[in-house]
Amino acid sequence: MEQEFHIEERVDRGRPVISVTGEIDVATAPQLRECLHRVIARGQATVVLDLLGVTFLDSTALGVLVGALKRCRELGGELHVVVSDARIKKIFEITGLNTIFPIVSTPAEVGAP
Amino acid sequence: MIEPDVAGADPLGDGDRIVLTFPARGDLVVLARLVASAISTRVGFDIEELEDLRLAVGELCLLALQGSDAWHGDLRLEFTVSAEALDISCTLGGAAPALGGRGDEGAEADQLSEQILAALVDAHGRVEEDGSVRAWLLKRRKGPLA
Repeated sequence: MEQEFHIEERVDRGRPVISVTGEIDVATAPQLRECLHRVIARGQATVVLDLLGVTFLDSTALGVLVGALKRCRELGGELHVVVSDARIKKIFEITGLNTIFPIVSTPAEVGAP
Repeated sequence: MIEPDVAGADPLGDGDRIVLTFPARGDLVVLARLVASAISTRVGFDIEELEDLRLAVGELCLLALQGSDAWHGDLRLEFTVSAEALDISCTLGGAAPALGGRGDEGAEADQLSEQILAALVDAHGRVEEDGSVRAWLLKRRKGPLA
């Protein structure tokens, strides 16, 4: 059974964390874009994007992530991506985005602000 | 996680063809992925090939829609099984022509889509013909027909 798409925001050690579950595709990516933009617009240059609950990711989702990464870096920050699922990691690898995003396996691996 | 379930399912073989037509809406692309998963199981692809094809078919739908600002018309997916490969085409019919650029993020996503397809399938392409757009892919079998 596929998990329903869901986005949750929280603050961990003073840093915004956005957790996503379910499938991020052409239908759901706009919701993630809106959430990322909203958080970054609040002046949060460094964001942790927790994709541990994500079961599917397509190019539309990756485009949203790249756009958010650019915004974070323009503000002097970073977009940390949390991924552990081998299939999701593979998508980052085949697109070469694993060399562009700081990717960690757990949110705790992201250093303190 | 989608697990292959071949129990009770008749395998698909050389010459079999499945057609799926649905309104060109983003929230319905999941249907294409679900059908691709089911067909992958029935042609004997392993779990890794199934996952690859599920992702590739979603990208194929996006490739057919590339450059179109609005979601109009229908997407027609055709899966053709042969002894050597699974051939999938996705035709966008009845859609309005492209109205312009999709911005930086859209262009980035198109490029990423191209990279994903290049990595996951043996061949793919996009053809504009007779007022419609057809994207296609070919996934060869690792072994003999199931």
